[in-house]
Amino acid sequence: MIYFYDGSKAAFLTALLLAFRDENAVLTSGSRQLSIGQEARFVQADASRARRAEERLLAIDKGSMHDLDTLLRSGDDDRDMVAFHYFRLLASRGKPVRRMLAEDAVRAADECMRRVGLEIHRLHGFVRFMESASGALYAPVSPDNDVCDLLLPHFRARLAGYPFVIHDVKRGKAAVYDGEHTFLAPLREAEVLLSADEAAWQTLWRSYYEAVNIPSRERLKQMRGYMPVRYWKFMPEKHGTF
Amino acid sequence: MISEEKLRILTESAKYDVSCSSSGSKRKNGGGIGNGYAAGCCHSFTPDGRCISLLKILLSNDCIFNCKYCMSRADADVPRMTATPDEICELVIDFYKRNYIEGLFLSSAVVKSPDHAMEQLLLTVKKLRTEYNFYGYIHVKGIPHADEGLVRETALYADRMSFNIELPTEKSLKLLAPQKSRESLLIPMRRLQQQQRVFKEEKRKGHFLPAGQTTQMIVGASPEPDGLILRLTQSLYKNAGLKRVYYSSYVPLVHNPLLPDIPAGERREHRLYQADWLLRFYGFSAEEIVEDGGNLSLDLDPKCGWALRNLQFFPVEVNRAPLEVLLRVPGIGARSAYKITEARKYAKLTFADLQKMRVVLKRARHFITADGKFYGERHETAIRGLLTAGEARENARQLSLFSDLETARSALTGEL
Repeated sequence: MIYFYDGSKAAFLTALLLAFRDENAVLTSGSRQLSIGQEARFVQADASRARRAEERLLAIDKGSMHDLDTLLRSGDDDRDMVAFHYFRLLASRGKPVRRMLAEDAVRAADECMRRVGLEIHRLHGFVRFMESASGALYAPVSPDNDVCDLLLPHFRARLAGYPFVIHDVKRGKAAVYDGEHTFLAPLREAEVLLSADEAAWQTLWRSYYEAVNIPSRERLKQMRGYMPVRYWKFMPEKHGTF
Repeated sequence: MISEEKLRILTESAKYDVSCSSSGSKRKNGGGIGNGYAAGCCHSFTPDGRCISLLKILLSNDCIFNCKYCMSRADADVPRMTATPDEICELVIDFYKRNYIEGLFLSSAVVKSPDHAMEQLLLTVKKLRTEYNFYGYIHVKGIPHADEGLVRETALYADRMSFNIELPTEKSLKLLAPQKSRESLLIPMRRLQQQQRVFKEEKRKGHFLPAGQTTQMIVGASPEPDGLILRLTQSLYKNAGLKRVYYSSYVPLVHNPLLPDIPAGERREHRLYQADWLLRFYGFSAEEIVEDGGNLSLDLDPKCGWALRNLQFFPVEVNRAPLEVLLRVPGIGARSAYKITEARKYAKLTFADLQKMRVVLKRARHFITADGKFYGERHETAIRGLLTAGEARENARQLSLFSDLETARSALTGEL
């Protein structure tokens, strides 16, 4: 049976209960081609079931809901099944399984969560703000995983005096700090009027980037390994270079 | 705003300094802009594969010292520039708020005298902290022969300071950097270490070099062997309490009969960093890694070299060997060792499990058994043959300038 759900935590937990004993269960929040004879079920979030599942899982492992949140943010195609197998294992073992790396389900979940964590860490470095005419900072991003709101605490702490917007252009939403509060808001397109000096600072940054490089030691593969090309789009120092 | 030309010139002269990490400080944002990021953060990578974490810049490249290997030395014919403290501060703030950088790495040529240079550095970082309210990372280079009080005061504003040892022996230093002496570098280092201890013991308010001290040595400009370099490194870690020792393989920027015309191999630099890691995170001593007058093998990594000289300790059983022993197995790094010790609590590990856990077995298989099974070679020459053949290919692909992703956390977790 294929269980379609909307990708939310409550619907996942509902589906987990429904599919728990189904040996051939396939969970998905995306679109999927049905093969002939395959049954499908559309799972709606059921608040009381979801709460029951959550309580049960938390009793087994205090970190389980954090894991679930991380897994559901993943942009991997197989994230629904990875999460399903991981939580089914957790519930059937009745004790934390996080360290049991010889288990396929644990390893898959571990690697998936690690990718989400790595992208957050990378974005802490690779996000590029532009200064708007009002002084607020604006950064477009297009991350693999749904993480833009998870960047808020980091930037809020360091940019305390500057309101900023981190705009996930891929998912049409933005993580906002208005100088007082942080929140997540839907945002399709943004038009930003840049400050008078913005272009000059970007030019200086590009000069710096060029000057600090040692051309006789070119290691392009290493550069791309640490800073994958998909992040270059919004980095002034990489504009127009591939 | 600083001019593009000035920025270029002052960066060009600073870029051969390899220390750039931004790790080790947990400074809080005290009502301005910026904070520390204990694990360190890379903001960009240049085509040479190095990371940009800090804005690496000189306050001035106008020098009265005449260190033979340096592009800013007194008798070099290069354009000279000096930035004002405000130009630097403004640059840091505007780069920082756009998230281009994690902080500032500030050094200077000796414009008039060591005291004057140190004073200008102090003035700049003090201004950055107190007038521009910057709480991000600051690394300041110490100037040899500068007044003790100036150095001490600078340490109250910086997260990290470094005096560059430059060359591993007094003899080479005399020859190539005649105005610097071993003592002018080691004494201020020890003094700062001492002052930091007192600061901590007395629990004084504020900060005193929360990210400690580092140093740098140029490799390949003078004839010292790796054995000597690593013993010096070990003593700097143990006795001077340094956080990091950086190696910078010599790039000939200058023609001088006292200096080699060929760049030092980057492979050698890479091997030194591997050995440095063994000293800091893997429980090895310099004596185990290489003999006094010897050099590290370029074909084999230093841990492999050690294991092949000590085959009597191997193979070890991955399901039983304690962590310290696993860490000594070639090919098993801190992260793999951790994964193994965790996973084996729940199940007996086989080679198939190790493979699935992404433990790299190319080297390790000759030195371990998994659930009693052994899939390697037993003879030293056979192992050496297999591994050096592989190494040659591997190195053709990735000669890495390993100097940047270097925080304790990164090394322990294997994360970026």
